[in-house]
Amino acid sequence: MTYRTFGRPTRRTVLRGAAAGAAVLAAPAILRAQGSTIRIGMPTILSGRVAILGQSSEAAAQLAVSEANEAGGIDGRMLELVVRDSAGKPDQATKVTRDLVNTEGCSVILDAEASGGSFAVNETVRDIKVYCIHTNSETSELTAAPKNQVEWVFRCARQGIHDAVGGGLYAANLSKEKGLTRWGTCSPDYAYGRSNTAEFMEYTKRFAPEIEVVVESWPKIFQPDYTENITALLNSAPQALYSCLWGGDLVAFFDQASLYGLFDQFETVAVNLGDYPVLEAIKALPTGIHSGSRYSSTVPDTEANRTWNDTYRAHSPVLPTNWAWQTYSGIKFMVEALKATGGDTDASKLAEATRGMTIDSPFGVNGTLTLRESDHTLIDYPVGYGLTLPEPPYIKNFQMTAWDEILKYEAEWKERNGYA
Amino acid sequence: MRTLASFWRDIAIAIVALAVLVYVGIAAETPWTRDFLTSLFAYGLLAMSLNLLIGTTGLVSFGHAAFFALGGYAFGLLLQSSGFLATFGPGAVPVAFVLAVAITAVWALVVGLICARLSEIYFAFLTLAFQMFLYSVVLSWVGLTGGDQGLMGGIPRPVFLGIDLSDPIHRFVFCAAVFVVSILVLRVVTASPFGYTLRLIRDNPRRAAFLGINVLRAKVISFVLAGSVASVGGIILALFTSGAYPEWMYWSQSGQAIFMIMLGGINQFFGPLLGAVLLRFLNDMVLAYTEYTELATGVAILLVVLGLRRGILDFVVDLVRNRRERTQQSEASASLKRGPDVSPDNKAATLETVTPRA
Repeated sequence: MTYRTFGRPTRRTVLRGAAAGAAVLAAPAILRAQGSTIRIGMPTILSGRVAILGQSSEAAAQLAVSEANEAGGIDGRMLELVVRDSAGKPDQATKVTRDLVNTEGCSVILDAEASGGSFAVNETVRDIKVYCIHTNSETSELTAAPKNQVEWVFRCARQGIHDAVGGGLYAANLSKEKGLTRWGTCSPDYAYGRSNTAEFMEYTKRFAPEIEVVVESWPKIFQPDYTENITALLNSAPQALYSCLWGGDLVAFFDQASLYGLFDQFETVAVNLGDYPVLEAIKALPTGIHSGSRYSSTVPDTEANRTWNDTYRAHSPVLPTNWAWQTYSGIKFMVEALKATGGDTDASKLAEATRGMTIDSPFGVNGTLTLRESDHTLIDYPVGYGLTLPEPPYIKNFQMTAWDEILKYEAEWKERNGYA
Repeated sequence: MRTLASFWRDIAIAIVALAVLVYVGIAAETPWTRDFLTSLFAYGLLAMSLNLLIGTTGLVSFGHAAFFALGGYAFGLLLQSSGFLATFGPGAVPVAFVLAVAITAVWALVVGLICARLSEIYFAFLTLAFQMFLYSVVLSWVGLTGGDQGLMGGIPRPVFLGIDLSDPIHRFVFCAAVFVVSILVLRVVTASPFGYTLRLIRDNPRRAAFLGINVLRAKVISFVLAGSVASVGGIILALFTSGAYPEWMYWSQSGQAIFMIMLGGINQFFGPLLGAVLLRFLNDMVLAYTEYTELATGVAILLVVLGLRRGILDFVVDLVRNRRERTQQSEASASLKRGPDVSPDNKAATLETVTPRA
């Protein structure tokens, strides 16, 4: 048996070894620097009672990324989506966002969180200076309040104050038409639920001053049993009810309230009812519930919207939702910004490209969506209400609110809150 | 003298540990290492301070995360106040740091004075009640705390003494230094005569009282110390996330700290820190592949609890100790079987082995 003997290493051997070692250690950095792909990090909710919304966001984002890649990517560079679950917890959303940037090599963030997580992501991307588009948070303060505004952050989602103006106008007309002066509310007991309900009732009273709120009921988020809330509503006997419950909570509330015949006793306005998974999950969908235009293949009623609906459904086992169209549109804006910078992911350059950007979209009321320059938020999406049907398309007779009306009252709201 | 020697040894170890942490953080190729370590500093302090209560004093608190979160909120709110920033200028960060710990210490004193009169499950649930009270205040006082969306608008961090906490390296070194000093404080407390008094109270409070120890006072001091160190963890996390969130003071956060202690080991000083490392690492790894993080961590804890029947570090220390004892026993019995060694060199040892002690 012979043994190979090792003498003292030569200078060349040492240099070779050092080069090989450096190459191994630097491999991830080299791969990123070569820019074979642009990675988009996406924190969202994939577990728990509202996971279906996160899943629809993921499906829509994947569809938009596939379309961008099939169209040649960003000057030949492909896009890749990296999705992580935050479980809807703000601190987890922060951690996930940091990991997506620092570990996964994502150079931009598409934040598909609900409001709680979005505020956390907003502070994280402010801190690490990464370009970000929020796609699901509806809390108006996220982009309206100056202290939350970040130069390189945008929001491609409907906004509470826009819905409140549209809803207030609709509810006021309903009140006048049917003589509904006694209203009750049943909304989730957290920031979104309270601010949304307050804004909705504020604008309803503004357009119909004769109405009053006779009962307020605040179920906890993810509450399993709504008997107490239903009883409170029945005992107060309002003539109309407003609710901004959403997702699984709204399904549970509707199924339980139907047993008590609640929807036979007064008019109900449920802004978040118009999402397909919710509409299909309710066992016996009551007819004639007033619902907001969350996502519908008939709002706007265009060929482009119907085509998108078909494409999405062919692509995903999860039904399209309000979160889905918003996330899809967020990626579309991001792709256009990346094209404008030639694939440069520098936050300031992307922000410069995104500010005031208008894109063609199946979801725009006039065929386009715009990220407004002044506060980096989305306008020109459908805001309206319709009436439920027990079978597809589930909602009919949508009454849209004109954007000049929304913008007029929004400007006033901003001024009143010291945001403008 | 021996206590003083071990004190200087601990300080030397702390300096070396800080140097290693700073080196690892600065030399790391990607920010992930710094991020992981910074979150570990925060959660490590939460777990280790809780173990001062559970492992050393025998007080199982279900509401310890309240102090962790209170530190973060107090620090963030002070720095978000324009009046505070204007008053203290460049010194705002250190002043806010000290005030946040002081505010938490005062709250811990109030809670401790009420809770420490009780023991076992009554103590545990009263601390939980105080935690949930604070949680409700944070959720309800939206104008001040941001409610369930947490502190919004970021936390201003004016540069002080050349330290810019908005710079990732500066922030990491600052957090590492604060972490090491806090651990040193915990070490000094547990290794001091006061620490041994706490252990006596844990093992036999009645006997401690008969020996003239003011048991309530000792428990309250332990409670305030643990709360203050936890608040430092919260401040680190507030710096890291540039915000503070109500989830930090929800009951499940205290539960997570207890899991860390169970996983790492209750009887070893660094057991909770090991638990924090493992739980955070496990969480990060699982999160990269699936959303079932809670299931995975639950299974891991179950395996440790059922398999080892104690924390990992407790198990390792027991294993090493048992092996050492078995080796010593086998050497002793082998020596007896060999009989007396009559060589001149071993005469004294032989005599000692075979001659019965008086």
